[in-house]
Amino acid sequence: MTTTRLKLSLNVWSRFARSLRAGLVVVLALAAPPRPAQCDEGPIFEDKLAGVLRQRCGKCHGAETQKANFALHTAAALQKGSETGPVITPGEPDQSRLYEVVATGEMPPRGETSLSAEEQQLLRDWLAGGARFRETTAPSQITQHDVLPIFWLRCTVCHGGRRSEAGLDLRTRASALKGGQGGPALVLGDPGASLLLKRIHAGEMPPKDQLTLAMVKPLESAEIETLTRWIEQGAPEAALLDDRAGQPDDPLVRPSDREFWAFRPPQHTVPLPPKPQNMGLARTPIDLFLLSRLEERGLSFAPLASPETLLRRASFDLTGLPPSPDDLALLEMQLRLLPEGGWDELWSRWVERLLASPRYGERWGRHWLDVAGYADCEGRREQHLPRPFAWKYRDYVIRSLNDDKPYDQFLIEQLAGDDLVDYRQVAVITPEIEDRLVATGFLRMSPDPTWANLTGFVPDRLEVIADSLDVLGGGVLGLTLKCARCHSHKFDPLPQRDYYRLSAVFKGAWDEHNWLKPETAGYGGALNTGLAERLLPQVNSAERREWQTRIAALDQQVAVLQQQPPGPERDEQIRRLTAGKPRDPRLFALWDNGDPSPTWIYRRGDYQNPGPFVEPGVPAVLTSPGQRFDPTPPYPGAFSTGRRLAFARWLTQPDHPLTARVMVNRVWHHHFGQGLVRTLGNFGTMGDRPSHPELLDWLSREFIDRGWSLKELHRLILNSTAWRQSSDISDLAREHDPDRRMVSRQALRRLDAEQLHDTLRLAAGELDPRPYGPADGVRIHPDGLVTTGSRRGLYAQQLRKFPVTLLDSFDLPQMNPNCLARSESLVAPQALHLLNDTGVRELARHAAERVSTVGRDDALTTLVRSFLGRSPTTEELELLRRHQAELFSAFQQQPNTTPDQAERQALQILAHALLNSAPFLYVD
Amino acid sequence: MTAWNPHDSDSAVSRRAFGLRVSTLLPAAALCSLQGGERPVQAAGSFPVGNPLAPRLAPRPPRARAIIQLFMNGGPSQMDLFDPKPALDAHHGEAYFPKIAGEVENVKDAGALMRSPFRFAQHGDCGMWVSSALPHTARHVDQLALIRSLHTTNITHEPALYLAHSGRMISGHPSLGSWVTWGLGSENQNLPAYVVLDDPLGLPINGVENWSAGYLPANFQGTRFRSQGAAVLNLRPAQPEPEAIPLVRSRLIAALDDLHRRDRPGYEQLSARIASYELAARMQLSAGEALDLSQETAATQALYGIGTEPTDSYGRRCLIARRLVERGVRFIQLYINAQIWDNHTGLAKDMQAACDRTDLPIAGLLTDLEQRGLLDDTLVVWGGEFGRLPIAQLPADKDEQKAGRDHNKNAGVCWFAGGGVKGGVVHGTTDDLGFAAVEDRVGIPDWHATILHLLGLDHLTLAVDHGGLPERLTGVEPARVVTEILP
Repeated sequence: MTTTRLKLSLNVWSRFARSLRAGLVVVLALAAPPRPAQCDEGPIFEDKLAGVLRQRCGKCHGAETQKANFALHTAAALQKGSETGPVITPGEPDQSRLYEVVATGEMPPRGETSLSAEEQQLLRDWLAGGARFRETTAPSQITQHDVLPIFWLRCTVCHGGRRSEAGLDLRTRASALKGGQGGPALVLGDPGASLLLKRIHAGEMPPKDQLTLAMVKPLESAEIETLTRWIEQGAPEAALLDDRAGQPDDPLVRPSDREFWAFRPPQHTVPLPPKPQNMGLARTPIDLFLLSRLEERGLSFAPLASPETLLRRASFDLTGLPPSPDDLALLEMQLRLLPEGGWDELWSRWVERLLASPRYGERWGRHWLDVAGYADCEGRREQHLPRPFAWKYRDYVIRSLNDDKPYDQFLIEQLAGDDLVDYRQVAVITPEIEDRLVATGFLRMSPDPTWANLTGFVPDRLEVIADSLDVLGGGVLGLTLKCARCHSHKFDPLPQRDYYRLSAVFKGAWDEHNWLKPETAGYGGALNTGLAERLLPQVNSAERREWQTRIAALDQQVAVLQQQPPGPERDEQIRRLTAGKPRDPRLFALWDNGDPSPTWIYRRGDYQNPGPFVEPGVPAVLTSPGQRFDPTPPYPGAFSTGRRLAFARWLTQPDHPLTARVMVNRVWHHHFGQGLVRTLGNFGTMGDRPSHPELLDWLSREFIDRGWSLKELHRLILNSTAWRQSSDISDLAREHDPDRRMVSRQALRRLDAEQLHDTLRLAAGELDPRPYGPADGVRIHPDGLVTTGSRRGLYAQQLRKFPVTLLDSFDLPQMNPNCLARSESLVAPQALHLLNDTGVRELARHAAERVSTVGRDDALTTLVRSFLGRSPTTEELELLRRHQAELFSAFQQQPNTTPDQAERQALQILAHALLNSAPFLYVD
Repeated sequence: MTAWNPHDSDSAVSRRAFGLRVSTLLPAAALCSLQGGERPVQAAGSFPVGNPLAPRLAPRPPRARAIIQLFMNGGPSQMDLFDPKPALDAHHGEAYFPKIAGEVENVKDAGALMRSPFRFAQHGDCGMWVSSALPHTARHVDQLALIRSLHTTNITHEPALYLAHSGRMISGHPSLGSWVTWGLGSENQNLPAYVVLDDPLGLPINGVENWSAGYLPANFQGTRFRSQGAAVLNLRPAQPEPEAIPLVRSRLIAALDDLHRRDRPGYEQLSARIASYELAARMQLSAGEALDLSQETAATQALYGIGTEPTDSYGRRCLIARRLVERGVRFIQLYINAQIWDNHTGLAKDMQAACDRTDLPIAGLLTDLEQRGLLDDTLVVWGGEFGRLPIAQLPADKDEQKAGRDHNKNAGVCWFAGGGVKGGVVHGTTDDLGFAAVEDRVGIPDWHATILHLLGLDHLTLAVDHGGLPERLTGVEPARVVTEILP
């Protein structure tokens, strides 16, 4: 469908009015018991009750503010109900939500004046008396808004835009009236004569033998009833209220809601804090912010950590690996030659060196992959299906970080890379074009069971969308968006409407009514189900040519063979060649199809209970009042709504209240072990308050002003005194800063899963340094142990069902859907793994063999350096020597053991002990 | 009342003083390792002062020394298992939804009142009513203290699970098992104090957070034993080593760790890590034996339904639980995958399937514990995160044959067995339709307080200072021990 047509269909929409709620009441009324006869004597709403309710509830549920989309300032508003449906049941006070919330004290909320006993009684009497109004509202009508969601849910997969079986398109009232090859689908006023209903009643539609393939379910009786009555009434249309984002007086989000710290932009000029007493300790503005607060409590920074400690900390922090023995030797030499006061300068050069390492992208890429919920398979545990091309997204992330791609651009590419390039109409797919497409893999990472027949229906798809929005909400926006899926957020000013507006932003790609199924067994031929496939063929042209050349060569070999006389040997050769054909390369990506279905708020999150129609938009509380969301196609002739690009551009405006703060806070968390806001994914009212709000704002502004450069941010932090403190706890600090919120010391941290895995292999000389490319497969042993190849842990195939045991034991997160902060557990199976695992023992043997060629003492020192990332202390060396001698003599007593063998075996045990020791596992 | 922090004072006692439980059925080798639990303590020179898992004297005499929690994730249906409602038969098919509309999650599917598809009968000397879905548990009613008036505060699985496990509806707080082992330590130093036996088919909702130690030291989190493949991986090295080597290695590791810890005073996790290595070393000696089900007779295995479907998997976990209890493990938690009790649809069939997987193994466990004299001081706790509604929840096609029941926070059922509770008692009642607990209501804090009480702990005094606040399992909620089920 072209953009023009899209606009047309939107215009058609906007001419219609909304009154689904009324329709719903009718539907519910069909199922509900008959109402008691209305009493003519009961109180009238407008007489007294209206005033009481306006006074008690009007602040949040009045003309201006309508929390939970509910107001009671007029009879009509009260009758309309709230976002979850009607709130009054005439004649039945105990069934009326309004009475319930008042009687149970749920409303008015804490801090507001409750209704007095008399007022509550008045409400009760009014409800019991039939809930009479002076002003009567017209009985509601069923309109196209009640009917079209049914068509979308049950019919449009075959009678819609992608496929129009029998020429029938049921996406609009007009197209339904026009009908298909069999004539008009509807006969206005005559349900019995309407082809649509005839086919449904005959049980022919949706066709039973196609249900599983097309992943639709039959119509429910209430839905058929709604259709019947709509046609009976002449298929009325109702005009659409303008619900675009940016109404100047938004009743759901008030100006006061925007006053919360996290919803205001970071301050442009943060006044630097007063000069601390000990100015000499401050190396960067970061230190000024922290010191002034520390000094208020009679505290100061801990002493600087030693250069060796810092190098180990920084290496792990920036590259995920310990310093190499060469690095340590270089540092030692530099320190010997260091002029007085030259350490700061030298240190900043070390920081540069580490930032320039290609290992940096692997380390920080892993942090981002946690946020994205990276996995090499689709479903949850039970619906395991590999994603053969997801690794390109992993590589994209690593490369982007190594290149220090500005964070705003990084986000824009991941949220709307497909809108940045005209990938459908170019002759040559450059690596750059491919990269933009691959970036959108971010939006495809959630666990996705919809490839399987039983888990691919609309509600399953909505779960995938909800997970993906959750990743975006927690990881990028720092908001617990998912709370607003079923009702307006209980604590933050996020109305349910804004959740669905946001989901509409993504609907060009995540459309529960136009779903792309994850690839199953093969790919390259869509199943004949109306559900298209989900891999793009736009790999870069060089790769495709290479593939074509290989295929051509294989085909030719086969052709030659086929000339030969037939025989089992020839046939076997042909079979082998054919089976070995590399598959058509594809991209794991997300793209806009330019033709989204309309978005209705799903009341209580229930897809069978659609509420008001909404347009795409961003959370109102993060915009200034009246700010509109107006996406346009990203370039002429684009097959795209452009909504995601507009969203991404909005997200990366310098004045965005959350984007920079959330990322800066995450970086801080990784450098210090906890964020300035400790709830990395919740900057809302139930989240943590920043310990140093001015520092957070200052860092955010610096981050933006320095071009959203993460490496600049690392520089700022790693050169600060705060980061360079030791992790020693003074008595004073223990007392006045027990949880380290004042940053009175650095953190002592355990190596995380990948750091541990990679360091073990590195020390053993068994770390394959090759970056990028398809994942290292995993091997599942009979006892349940899962192992992988010899590259860094992040290149291991990430299967939800089979996590690599070593990584899993040390808290590799389960991606359901993602992980914002890893936990640090401490259980005996970790020790058992490091003590007894054959693979770990092999690594110890390799490590020992590497150093056994040098002299005894040098061997020990080298061993310690490679495992502990520092030189041994005198005490440690003495300890190791003593045990070495003991081990040597123990091994020598074994039969058939030469002194040389005993020496090597002893060294191997020393290596094994070192990798099991706390100084190996913990970083100061 | 002053907080009782078991780790503040020197309340550790030797296992013998605490009361050693010795099963006469234990093989000699097991006895050796049991006794080994206290022997190597000082001898090996590696036992840290203030071993966090050392057995500790409870502030008052305990009725139970160990606990097996059979957690039934999903919310088992009380009126189809233990709480018969003749009124539901009488009013079957009548509308009821409007009366409880605010309590129903899936409004769209709400149907009419629904009688139980299961038949109830009285069992045992006590005449307790149990449905036909649980024929094996029914044989043990004289040992059960049944609570029919359990209620909770949330109808969503995640918060309800957090609440049932840690007393709060959010993550980050210590679980019941962590509180208990923090309070009491363990009677076996060769195995973790708190063992989790999860289902190889998948983790329960909230995953590993269910056995988190929260802000208690990390030693007190649950240790997962795998029930697929090897229960504990890498329990011993694949290649044997000369006899002297392991000892030298452990000494060296301990010495390196000691130096490291000495230079970093104030870091509790370093002590915890040393303790975890020591535990690992001791587990090598005894865990393999403890987890080796081939040592059990065919008759015992059959008692638990091992080797037969659909009971094999859960039966194995139940039998492992008994073997762990025998060896002095304090807290054992059993899970089953994928919320099998969350019967929104197909109640008659699916709930029966859930029963079929668990009923026989649980009955086997009770029989076996009793015949070995272990039931007296082992508390077995059965229950889920909430109950279910008396009305039908209809599938999309509204086929009543396939109806289920939706979540209900107002009524649920749980039972205790052994561990010094009275058998054959029923506590609390629900209304005629089973929608809400009405008499002798037991909330989750009450349930927690009762479990702690049976173990000799006091929910009011078992407290830890966290960020300047004394935190307790039951929080600030009032909680009452259900004394009615005590003799």
